[in-house]
Amino acid sequence: MTVIALEDAVKRYHTGGEVIEALAGVDFGAERGEMVTVIGPSGSGKSTMLNLVGLLDTPSEGVVRLDGRDVTDFSEDELTEERRSEIGFVFQAFHLLPMLTAAENVELPSMWDTTRDRSDRAVDLLRRVGLGDRLDHTPEELSGGQKQRVAIARALINEPDILLADEPTGNLDQDTGRTILDELTRLKRDENIAIVAVTHDEQLVEYADREVRLVDGVLQ
Amino acid sequence: MSRLTELVWRFPSVVMAWRNLGRNRVRTALATLGIVIGVVAIASLGIAGVALQQQATTDLGSLANEVTVRSGADSDTDGVTDEQVDAIRSVVADAPVVPEKTNSTTLSSRDGEEAFVSVTGVTDADALYTVSEGESPERLRSGALLTNETARRLGVELGDPVTYDGRLYRVRGIVESDDGFGGSGSELVVPVAALDEQEQYDSVTIVAANGDEAQEIVSTLESRFNEGDDEELSITNFASVQENVNSFFDTLNLALLGIGAISLVVASVAILNVMLMSTIERRGEIGVLRAVGIRRGEVLRMILAEAAFLGVIGGVVGAAASLGTGLVIFEVLAGDPTLVFEWASLQYLGYGFGFAVTASVLSGLYPAWKAANDLPVEALRG
Repeated sequence: MTVIALEDAVKRYHTGGEVIEALAGVDFGAERGEMVTVIGPSGSGKSTMLNLVGLLDTPSEGVVRLDGRDVTDFSEDELTEERRSEIGFVFQAFHLLPMLTAAENVELPSMWDTTRDRSDRAVDLLRRVGLGDRLDHTPEELSGGQKQRVAIARALINEPDILLADEPTGNLDQDTGRTILDELTRLKRDENIAIVAVTHDEQLVEYADREVRLVDGVLQ
Repeated sequence: MSRLTELVWRFPSVVMAWRNLGRNRVRTALATLGIVIGVVAIASLGIAGVALQQQATTDLGSLANEVTVRSGADSDTDGVTDEQVDAIRSVVADAPVVPEKTNSTTLSSRDGEEAFVSVTGVTDADALYTVSEGESPERLRSGALLTNETARRLGVELGDPVTYDGRLYRVRGIVESDDGFGGSGSELVVPVAALDEQEQYDSVTIVAANGDEAQEIVSTLESRFNEGDDEELSITNFASVQENVNSFFDTLNLALLGIGAISLVVASVAILNVMLMSTIERRGEIGVLRAVGIRRGEVLRMILAEAAFLGVIGGVVGAAASLGTGLVIFEVLAGDPTLVFEWASLQYLGYGFGFAVTASVLSGLYPAWKAANDLPVEALRG
């Protein structure tokens, strides 16, 4: 079942009197339990597409569907709620908060939800990514690979349907990248989620169930 | 997780704010120092104003409570008559009414030292005079009181005799040299019988419980004795002087507080700057928070909590420092540092603290609003 879909999505930017069309009518969908990679040269609109799929931005034209619901015209506050409950993010530069421990970083997306205590799930997720003995370490005490595992655990804390990864292995060496991809593949199965990854990394493509290629804002 | 950790995490904005402030301790300390200076300026200037006012009130002393009655311009007699004194007594009821006769003389010591003194003949000495040595009799029938400066100059001690009008009086009490601007500063107090050749009293002093009662007595006496423009008795009271002094100090206090407030405004501009800088530096991080589903209001609260922390820490430290300053001020001006613990002074610590927190939170509003409303896409780009 398709959990996230773009239908004929167009995104235009206005810069200095010029109109740049970053996405020129993209149809895209991802299903539970599959990993899709989006590849393409830089400037091809990959980040723009990921922003639309991640509900961080809205298209100039076209429709965004989350679990079959049209969320195109949602307000920023409504989109925030959807991101909180349905979408997990993994960034190239990890983006962990330096003043929080690994466990607290994982809990971050649910921290303000005082009705539910997610600390047990945070510990469980960190154990599952092999960091059960690093719960109280701060990010600067962790290696790059460990940081990315913390970031993956953070992305899963609220049991999302979709995990979005922007160059998840971009800052890691090849071996570490491989373990991270193994981790993602396992979690994709265990949690039955859709993973959409934007990458240049050939290695990542090997792990993907499907790949789409974006050139000049159009899927090939 | 311990119970305490669990409890503080019930307020995630506060915990996050606290940790964020800990990331750049020097900057946090400097921003707080600005607030501390502002609070100390407000609170210690306020306390200084209170101390000055209390000191001035003490210096004016009992003057405001006393009503002085003399013979008026339209009186048939030179002084206040016995009948008039009785009439005054019947009008003022409870307050002591002290008729006085006055004269002047020159006292000389055995070794030829001379002192010019005013002489007061009075019976209820204790109502008007406070002695530093000896006693101030309720009924002065024999003996005398002498101001301490004159006593020192003439080498007179308790029990020594002084001569007035050919008669000897033993000094029973030494009176503090005059406080306020009532008398000459050197005074000999003798029984009223010593001035028997004067038939009438030069003045009558009525000692009221406080300034308000004194003014009431003034108006009662005015309506009783002085009808229309006819001034049978001249009635004076310094309560209005006290009021003027009070209102002067109220104005002074306001001016001092204004000066203090300026430094707090400067401090809150510093807070605004620090908060703005720190949210701009953390733009990407705030973008991540927004991306993973942290609401705008939650980001806003977190940053406001940071600003509030700066205000609370600065306010507490500033209030403590001001209390110390207040102790010194009261020690110097009034000789009693514990007076600072009276509400009149303590309230300024409250004002200082309140202003500090308010100013900090107000300064945090714009940076917090700006950070919370930054679009996550833009913020993530950094």
